[in-house]
Amino acid sequence: MADLKTKYLGLELKNPLLVGSSGLTASIDSIVKMVDYGAGGVVLKSLFEEEIILEHEKNMKEKLGSQESNLEFLDYFDYQLKENTFKKQRELIDEIKAKTDVPVITSINCYSVGEWFSYAKLLEDAGADALELNLYRIPSKINVTAEEILRGYSEIVKRVKEHVQIPVSVKLSPYFTDLGNIVSQFDLLGVDGIVMFNRFYSPDIDLENDRIASGPIYSSPNDYTDSLRWIAMLKEQVTCDLSASGGVHTPDTLFKMLLAGADSVQVVSTIYKNGPGYIRDLLSGVEKWMERKQLTNIEEVHRFGRKLVPNHGEVFERAQFMKYFGQHEQ
Amino acid sequence: MDKQDILKQERNAAWRKELRDKIKNKERTGFTRVEMPEADPIERSRSYVEVNSGLSAEEAVLEARRCLDCANPTCITGCPVEINIPKFIKNIERGEFLESAKVLKETSALPAVCGRVCPQEKQCEASCFYTQKLKKPAVAIGYLERFAADYERESGNVSVPDVAESKNKKIACIGSGPAGLSFAGDMAKMGYDVTVFEALHQIGGVLKYGIPEFRLPNDVVDVEIENLKKMGVKFETNFIVGKTATFDDLKEEGFEAFFVGSGAGLPRFMGIPGENLVGILSSNEYLTRVNLMEANKEETDTPILKGRRVAVIGGGNTAMDSVRTALRLGAEKAMIIYRRSEEEMPARVEEIKHAKEEGVEFMNLQNPIEYIGDAKGYVRQARVQRMELGEPDASGRRRPVPVEGSEYLLDVDTVVVSVGVSPNPLIPQSVPDLKTTDWSTLVVEEDSLQTSVPLMFAGGDIVRGGATVILAMGDGRKAAKAMDEKLSGVAKSEVAADNK
Amino acid sequence: MNKVVSKEFFSENVVRLEIEAPRIAKARRAGHFVIVRVDEKGERIPLTISGSDVAKGTITLVIQRVGVTSRKLAELEAGDTISDLVGPLGQATEVKKVGTILACGGGVGVAPLLPIVEANKKAGNRVISIIAARSKDLIILEEQIREYSDEVIVMTDDGSYGAKGLITEGMEKVINREKIDEAVIIGPAIMMKFASEVTRKHEIPSIASLNTIMVDGTGMCGACRVTVDGKTKFVCVDGPEFDAHKVDFDEMLMRLGGYKDFEKDANDRYLNQQK
Repeated sequence: MADLKTKYLGLELKNPLLVGSSGLTASIDSIVKMVDYGAGGVVLKSLFEEEIILEHEKNMKEKLGSQESNLEFLDYFDYQLKENTFKKQRELIDEIKAKTDVPVITSINCYSVGEWFSYAKLLEDAGADALELNLYRIPSKINVTAEEILRGYSEIVKRVKEHVQIPVSVKLSPYFTDLGNIVSQFDLLGVDGIVMFNRFYSPDIDLENDRIASGPIYSSPNDYTDSLRWIAMLKEQVTCDLSASGGVHTPDTLFKMLLAGADSVQVVSTIYKNGPGYIRDLLSGVEKWMERKQLTNIEEVHRFGRKLVPNHGEVFERAQFMKYFGQHEQ
Repeated sequence: MDKQDILKQERNAAWRKELRDKIKNKERTGFTRVEMPEADPIERSRSYVEVNSGLSAEEAVLEARRCLDCANPTCITGCPVEINIPKFIKNIERGEFLESAKVLKETSALPAVCGRVCPQEKQCEASCFYTQKLKKPAVAIGYLERFAADYERESGNVSVPDVAESKNKKIACIGSGPAGLSFAGDMAKMGYDVTVFEALHQIGGVLKYGIPEFRLPNDVVDVEIENLKKMGVKFETNFIVGKTATFDDLKEEGFEAFFVGSGAGLPRFMGIPGENLVGILSSNEYLTRVNLMEANKEETDTPILKGRRVAVIGGGNTAMDSVRTALRLGAEKAMIIYRRSEEEMPARVEEIKHAKEEGVEFMNLQNPIEYIGDAKGYVRQARVQRMELGEPDASGRRRPVPVEGSEYLLDVDTVVVSVGVSPNPLIPQSVPDLKTTDWSTLVVEEDSLQTSVPLMFAGGDIVRGGATVILAMGDGRKAAKAMDEKLSGVAKSEVAADNK
Repeated sequence: MNKVVSKEFFSENVVRLEIEAPRIAKARRAGHFVIVRVDEKGERIPLTISGSDVAKGTITLVIQRVGVTSRKLAELEAGDTISDLVGPLGQATEVKKVGTILACGGGVGVAPLLPIVEANKKAGNRVISIIAARSKDLIILEEQIREYSDEVIVMTDDGSYGAKGLITEGMEKVINREKIDEAVIIGPAIMMKFASEVTRKHEIPSIASLNTIMVDGTGMCGACRVTVDGKTKFVCVDGPEFDAHKVDFDEMLMRLGGYKDFEKDANDRYLNQQK
């Protein structure tokens, strides 16, 4: 029997499958179901500073009253909303701890440095075992340079690390010129893990109804290759843990991620599509591969994977198709 | 006859016509608005003397002449309790000051208080013809209201409203703040036997523990309370309904109906790192120590932090009260840290002006994100982030957006957090049937202010969250009227509070 | 105005006052406290109710002379009045039959411990009480505690009475001897901190009753805020009792020191006036 136990962010996981931050990890019932089907851990649905801001604005609009009579009450009401949000999060964490035995990773997405670390501290206080910083924002301002963006992100990471003791991971986007450098910078700042990669809300145009609509929500089974490439390339070059995320839809892909060196693998879309019961299939699929290749534990899987990826994964460093690398005749 | 007709009829009184004919409107609008005489900023900022010293009779009459006694007095609609503004002002113009005070008391239980603490610039004065149509400074309605009320009080001729024959019905009023006092007054007028229960050792609620002496002297409040006592209202201090006695206990003792005006007594904090360091306190605590416990006085036992560098977080009236109190306690540097700009501040314009005159430093578009203490746990610095205003949001206010990389450390030794209060949970805790909203205010029927519990009404901040004194008073009146209707079992609303 | 009915000195600095307060006497439960303002110039301070007599309409407060207010209180005689007394405040102790209770009281903390000991005994628990103080003359309410305890261990730091040593040593002994189902810890903050370390080590569920700075006692001022399980709580409305293992005692100690200098000044001023 294969042993799937692994360590991610210093946390003991009974297996490397994490249910990623999403609607699936927003309620206790859903989380308990995921764990019952075997999930090794959960990353809770992100807390968004933006949501609190929007909620505050809504309250302002509805409750301000004539002559702005409620202004003094509402002026800083966002702090109250924030407190309520954290109260709910704390209750959720308490419930997860009472009803399951998996570690709880919380996730945040904020605007400003100050909020990042204050949210982080509040989540640590609420009992989170680890923290995932959902860091990326679309760099929509055209006068902001890559250095400035990196400086901003580094500042956030540094401050968060200063304020919390629990392990911190950073969820990144693949869209950086110097992704390797960024990961190594974060590694040097003491980040405990890097999650590759974030998936974004994508606006799309609804031609029938002449309006902006949401683009495809779920990842597709072919989306995994970027994660696979970067995990394989970075595995030997950084000290922090690596978590694969995006496009992991089948047991095969999950196993591939482990071979590439992932310490944990996050799944979301495939659970939405196939239901929580599919977690069992994913895990048993991995076990089958391990048995077939006579690997008894995750460490052996990693070692086996290393052998497939010699010299820092030269194969993974190729960007363009060439006869030598691709079997396709062009 | 509806309200409009009554107003019209009163406007047609001979004396009013005569006044109108005496001075042409053109001439009236040519007069400049009176300035409120104020204590010297340097001197007053170190003492507790009332800042506004009030208009003289002469000044009041001159200002009253500016009022055009409009056919359609829009100012009244700007007043939450619909004081008959032209009528009280014209009484001042003709020198009938006591009569003017009586007009105020027809609808307001605490005119001397409202004249001092209402945000008139957003209410009556915002709806004044001068503001609306002439784009000139409004008639100083607030100053005049205060003048008439003060004149009556100082004359020693305070009129006690008539009280109807006793109905022998015991009513409990929980809380002695503006909502409770106004409720108690109206119920007493209607002949009910009202007992007001107050948790603290002094009557007056926020008027006592919250608003400082330099803005609202306690004597002014006490006179109004004395008046209520003369009308037969009973007061029990040191009594927490739900704790000292339960609602059931009180029912057993014969109380038939309840009004909950227990206020919003739970201070809000920001939840940022370091906020529990020594030297960081709520404005409620800071102001209570000074206003209620008189900690500023040498001979009292209550201690107060006399900070040298005091930062007050917030932009409301409570923040202004706190920062000005800090000055009076001897602060070398008293600062307001507010994350929006002055334009968005909830505080009364006059309070902001006074604070500035007294030397308060306004650090607008800034927000603390963390506090840093020394080894003994005393706050020493605040990490402050600069903000800029973004696009106007749905409510029309511009949202403060942090400027990245703008943080800096500010030396402080006392921080007063004044970012609002939440409703006090004591009452809902002791009456489980009482429905509350998401923000823990009580759910009431809009017209009657009846809660989810029969014969239990509520008003003021426990319902609104945090509003003005005058709105709380308006609630008290509304609840009194509804309660009376309920208790008498007949719709006799016309007879009740209005036709006194 | 509330009248002092009787007064008894437990020691030079510890006094018991029986005060007329019929409503509070009737409404109060173990764990409740009152806010007292001695006179017109007085401050408002919280004091745990240590007992009541519903028939007589009185409550009992035990006061240790430390600051101005406690001095003033200690100097009252039967027949005197205190100007303000309000309560009962806070959440009452949750008393259940759990088995064996270890009740630990340090110094004047024995006074608030007494009603909890009494309630636990009456609920059918076996109660082992440890009462401790610096020296013999600071041990209070021993008789009353004995009345409701199956066993009482008295400890003094200097060995002038009972066993010599700190309360934690006594606790270790009992815990090593028999199974304890729950502990109640009341005393000075520093004592509670170390006592709850002992029960944490042995994984014994414990409650501590906190006595922090308060002004109004109804949740209005926030002076009493403490961090419990990472969350800010108000002792006056959420407490005074909390899970001892989750209280941030270091922060509480720090906050208790917040007005030390002022307290000393007020005390000196008061003592000067008395000369």
